[in-house]
Amino acid sequence: MNNNHFSRYAPKSSIDIGVFLCRCGGNISDTVDIERLKSSIDAKVVKDFENLCSLKCQKNIRDIILEEDLDRAVIAACSPITHEKTFRNHVAPLNPYLLEMANLREQCSWVHSDSDKATDKAISLTNAAVERVKYARPLDTIVRKTKKSAAVIGGGISGITAALSLAKQGVKVDLIEKKPSVGGNMIKIGKVFSPEKLAEECALCLFNPLINEAVQHDNINIITNAEVKSSERKAGNFNLLVEKKPRQVWVDRCTACGNCAEVCPIDVPNEWNENLMMRKAIYKPFPQSVPDTYTIDEEHCIKCGNCEKVCNMNAINFSMKTEVIPLNVGSVVIATGHKGFDLKKRPEYGYTRYDDVISQMELARIMGVNGPTNGKLQRPSNGEIPRRLVMIQCAGSRDEKPEGKRYCSKVCCMVALKHANFIKHYYPETEIIICYTDMRTPGMYENYFRYGQSNKIKLIRGRPGDVTRKNGNLIVRVEDTLRGEQLEIETDMIILSEAMEASDGTLEVAKLLNVGLTEDLFVKEKHSKIKPVNTDIEGIFVCGTAQGPKDITDSVSQANAAASKVSELMNGGLEIEPLIAEIDHSECKLCGACIDSCKYKAVYMYDERISVDPIACNGCGICVAKCKNNAIEIMGQTDSQIYAMISGMLKDKKDGERRILVFLDYIGYVAADNIGVNRIPYPESVRIIRITSINRLMPKHIIHAFENGADGIFLGEYPDNVVYSNIQEKVHEFKTQLIKNGIDPDRLMYYKVYAPYFRGLAKKFYEFDKQVSKSLDKLEAVLYKASSKDI
Amino acid sequence: MKTLKIGENTFELADSIINDLKASENLGLLKCIQCGMCTSVCPAASHTDYDPRVIVKRVLDEDDSLISDDIIWNCFYCYSCHSVCPVNNSVCEINQILRQKSIEKVDGIRKIASFLAYGDSFLELGIGSIPNDFFNELIKDIGEEYFELKIHLDDIREELGLGTIILPENDLNDIKKILKKTGFTDRLTKIRRVKKDEEDTR
Amino acid sequence: MKKIPDKEILLFKSCLVSVEYPGIESSTKYVFDKLGIEYIVDDRQSCCTGLGYYYDLFDQFSTTALAARNFAIARETNHKNIATMCATCYAILKKSSNILNKNDNVRKKINEIFEDSKLEELKYKVDDVDSRNNIFHTVEILFNKAKEIEDYPKIDLSQFKVASHHACHYCKVHYKDTIGNLRDPMIIETLAKSCGVETVDWYDYKRTTCGAGFRQRFTNLDLSLSVTTDKLVSLKENNVDILIHMCPNCQMQFDRYQPKIEEMLDTKFNIVHLNISQFIALAMGADPYKVIGVQTHTVPVDPILEKIKLNQTICYERLSQI
Repeated sequence: MNNNHFSRYAPKSSIDIGVFLCRCGGNISDTVDIERLKSSIDAKVVKDFENLCSLKCQKNIRDIILEEDLDRAVIAACSPITHEKTFRNHVAPLNPYLLEMANLREQCSWVHSDSDKATDKAISLTNAAVERVKYARPLDTIVRKTKKSAAVIGGGISGITAALSLAKQGVKVDLIEKKPSVGGNMIKIGKVFSPEKLAEECALCLFNPLINEAVQHDNINIITNAEVKSSERKAGNFNLLVEKKPRQVWVDRCTACGNCAEVCPIDVPNEWNENLMMRKAIYKPFPQSVPDTYTIDEEHCIKCGNCEKVCNMNAINFSMKTEVIPLNVGSVVIATGHKGFDLKKRPEYGYTRYDDVISQMELARIMGVNGPTNGKLQRPSNGEIPRRLVMIQCAGSRDEKPEGKRYCSKVCCMVALKHANFIKHYYPETEIIICYTDMRTPGMYENYFRYGQSNKIKLIRGRPGDVTRKNGNLIVRVEDTLRGEQLEIETDMIILSEAMEASDGTLEVAKLLNVGLTEDLFVKEKHSKIKPVNTDIEGIFVCGTAQGPKDITDSVSQANAAASKVSELMNGGLEIEPLIAEIDHSECKLCGACIDSCKYKAVYMYDERISVDPIACNGCGICVAKCKNNAIEIMGQTDSQIYAMISGMLKDKKDGERRILVFLDYIGYVAADNIGVNRIPYPESVRIIRITSINRLMPKHIIHAFENGADGIFLGEYPDNVVYSNIQEKVHEFKTQLIKNGIDPDRLMYYKVYAPYFRGLAKKFYEFDKQVSKSLDKLEAVLYKASSKDI
Repeated sequence: MKTLKIGENTFELADSIINDLKASENLGLLKCIQCGMCTSVCPAASHTDYDPRVIVKRVLDEDDSLISDDIIWNCFYCYSCHSVCPVNNSVCEINQILRQKSIEKVDGIRKIASFLAYGDSFLELGIGSIPNDFFNELIKDIGEEYFELKIHLDDIREELGLGTIILPENDLNDIKKILKKTGFTDRLTKIRRVKKDEEDTR
Repeated sequence: MKKIPDKEILLFKSCLVSVEYPGIESSTKYVFDKLGIEYIVDDRQSCCTGLGYYYDLFDQFSTTALAARNFAIARETNHKNIATMCATCYAILKKSSNILNKNDNVRKKINEIFEDSKLEELKYKVDDVDSRNNIFHTVEILFNKAKEIEDYPKIDLSQFKVASHHACHYCKVHYKDTIGNLRDPMIIETLAKSCGVETVDWYDYKRTTCGAGFRQRFTNLDLSLSVTTDKLVSLKENNVDILIHMCPNCQMQFDRYQPKIEEMLDTKFNIVHLNISQFIALAMGADPYKVIGVQTHTVPVDPILEKIKLNQTICYERLSQI
């Protein structure tokens, strides 16, 4: 190894380093010979203290740094996990990143009893810190500047809730809705179920006040009839281009009198009423539409001009053009919702073949007082009240067949019960049968289920195979699985409980924003347990059914959670540790390999320049290895720092001594500390180096270590993270390189670490030490044989 | 009352089915939710006591008596259950495997003995045919014309511009060699023995 | 949708086509020739074993070994796209190719058998045949030419009402490869429509099996025929004149047993059974006896032929002018 690898940020000719040793009230000094340690360290100042972390010592350290005019400091004491933050404050006025720690307690004195060997190891740990600190650079904490504004995409219950919460926290919100009116699915469903009151409440009455509040809020700008067309990330902000379709009606002039619709000659299926009735080409989606205005449906309008003639307000203008609105926002909330499963994909259930086979959403419209029958339950085929109604659950859900959805849509059992209870209340004569696979009514909804049972809703456990027609009746063919009997159920109406699937808007927006999707095509959360509203892109959040099937309660909770996450970014004045990727723009050839390789989607191209989102980047180093032009460094873990650490750890190795370098990620390092805390011994040969991820290491580092006397290399990382797949590749690459260099690949191993499983790690250290020793013996035998041949 | 003893439910039967060569890749047997959709589309279930859902239940309950139960011979192999099962299970394939297990014993062999001629014809001509055991029955059900058709088949084929249905000699030999080595010939011999014994006792 | 070839096709002989309805083969050839589809038939090809397999007589391993032998013929003749006229051949070959491609142990054993038998040329290499992209039903090859069939001058069959029986072993076994929704494939209807007839797109029991049930027809005839009856009754309610098939076994079940069922129920169904290739050949003006092979049918096709006689003469004239 020549020094070329050290060329960047090479040390100045004279850097004055101070090394501060902590005896830790005997915790360290009882095992480590502090005097020998002191005399073995090459630095301008080497001093020991009883308790370095005490306030008194803080002053001492500062005084020494000032008196001796030190450039760098090394603190050899406990684990950096425990006290690194404390000591970074202690070394002021030095830049906090000009401090390096050597872990003499958890990873030395607490795990070794042989004083001589422990002292040798303490010397090498301290030496490594001294070597490494020479290459340290002063770094500033990054303060992320996020614009105090957000775009919420989707104007259903989730979007409106998120927008209101943000607005109330002082964030400017642009709410973008594709349809001419906000309201989404919730405004269509008529009733919502309340397990507490065992009653069905009016959805519109709950939701409308929220919509009105949003309309009136100064911080909310509602853009309807509009879609996001492009998105660009820039320094933690987003530039969106929103395309607003022309309404051909002046919103501020239209009084929604409705004269126009009366004279319009064109009939169009009314999608807001699930196409169960017609509307005109100039229309207001529903009476409570927001904005309260008519819209011309460009696709169907024939421009006859009738409406223009009757409009007293001169509100109609056929020359309106599509408007493109640029938005610059700090965060984006995806609230694009779901759609009902296309029941035509289940032809055996007769949807569209028989008029009286409908979806739950269609039933909701029929039962809605503002729906096609003014709330009266009628058979679509003949307008009569059905004598019996059969609901088929899991229509599209819990089905692994092509076109099916593997997941449970989560709300359909409650939706079916809601409609059944509601109908039983108003039409007690109508029989209701629910054919179910499993009734899933978790938590309080169980009350609602019981309520349904006492309302004499009949339940048949079985998933129907098909639907047909016989003697004027619809027939549902099903096995009553509890009786083991094949049944043909006669009925007047069949309601299919359609699965929930991601809306087209959800798919479009996810693609546009480059946000990851789950296998089931919903927006993927960053972590299903602890980061349920984060997406894989920092600054973009998700809520409601865009993220997966859920009810209104959960959607509202998630919307509020998303809003508070946005607010964290904006109000917290987020400070970020600067230990992230930095691009050398003079070397960068814009090949984009780093963008493709980044699992955190932290790297992006803006204005022909590669940029790194400091919040998203976790310094894992995958990109460094992928960059062919050497244009990326990880701050705090530069090549020179890694080389220095390796050389330092291997310095002054004695004859016959074994040294094993152990590279551990954060979780691994914590596990190793835990070994110390529990005083479990392991071989003294083990020297632990903390890195963000094994991905940061490259073959050159590994080879360097072996060439400088390492006997073995042990890599440990927590496997349940997004970069794990790369680690496997990495380890394979290392082993291949070792073979090429004539080094036994058994001298390198990878181990999955888990914080609570520190005993396993200690055991692995022993095993690996033995494995290395065996390999070395083998090598020696070969060498001996070779040399004896020479003789 | 039956006691479900500890260690009794081992899923051995299910495992042996899943690992059988006849089973589809990723057969969803263990994922069965007993929804009964298979039964609701099953032709055998609508006309007999056969219930595909119960077959799966019994397999998962480690009920070995299923192998010797006549009920497994009711399946039509129409794959309707296979095509609708929401967890990609296939009672159709399970039945095929159970019947193969049953054929390991004499009782099972008796069930297929009358189809022996199909195998003989395959070895002889390289093409299977309707087993002659049933031929008289067919003529009775279909009519004399059917017999006529069989007699004049070669002429009709010639009229339609089609050649012989029998494979060239060399190829027939190859097929015989292959089927000898796959164990099929021995399998037929075994069936023939059972069939003969049965005929003798009769 | 999967890519459907129109050349390098090995038209795979079927036992039941050969001995029950040879007209299906001659009709398929006739239609393929008219549409310019390039194919061969090879004498050496053995039967797929399907019937024996579903009589529980053939084991999977023997079936797979014979499939490997037939695949070798396809490979050697450079006609690697196999088109079957029978749904069971289709399913059996697909299953075998999946096993040969994915099960290293079975492939090795079969190749060893070939080696021991001095039949090295038959040895199978992974992906010699791809289940999805090399194995088709002839109905798919035709479906791919629906437009050409529509444009081809044809006899007027618009007076007939037809329905389909999509064979179970085509749509239900390897359902991921089924064209259209596996729960209601409309391939036959699409082709029938391109021949200008009215189609009954759905009838009760449309998805149900023909009732043959392999052993059931022989050992359990009552059960077998009750399923066939369900379908026939439903078809009659829909006033169907012709039921179009894609599998000789299904066709046999309906055509051979319809008279018996009529006798049992004391009714008349008046439904004629034709394979889709026979139907298209008929529309294209093929000779009923020399191509379509109606003489092997149990339910007479004559009523249909008589009804189109007038049109036919006109059409023949028109066709001869082209």
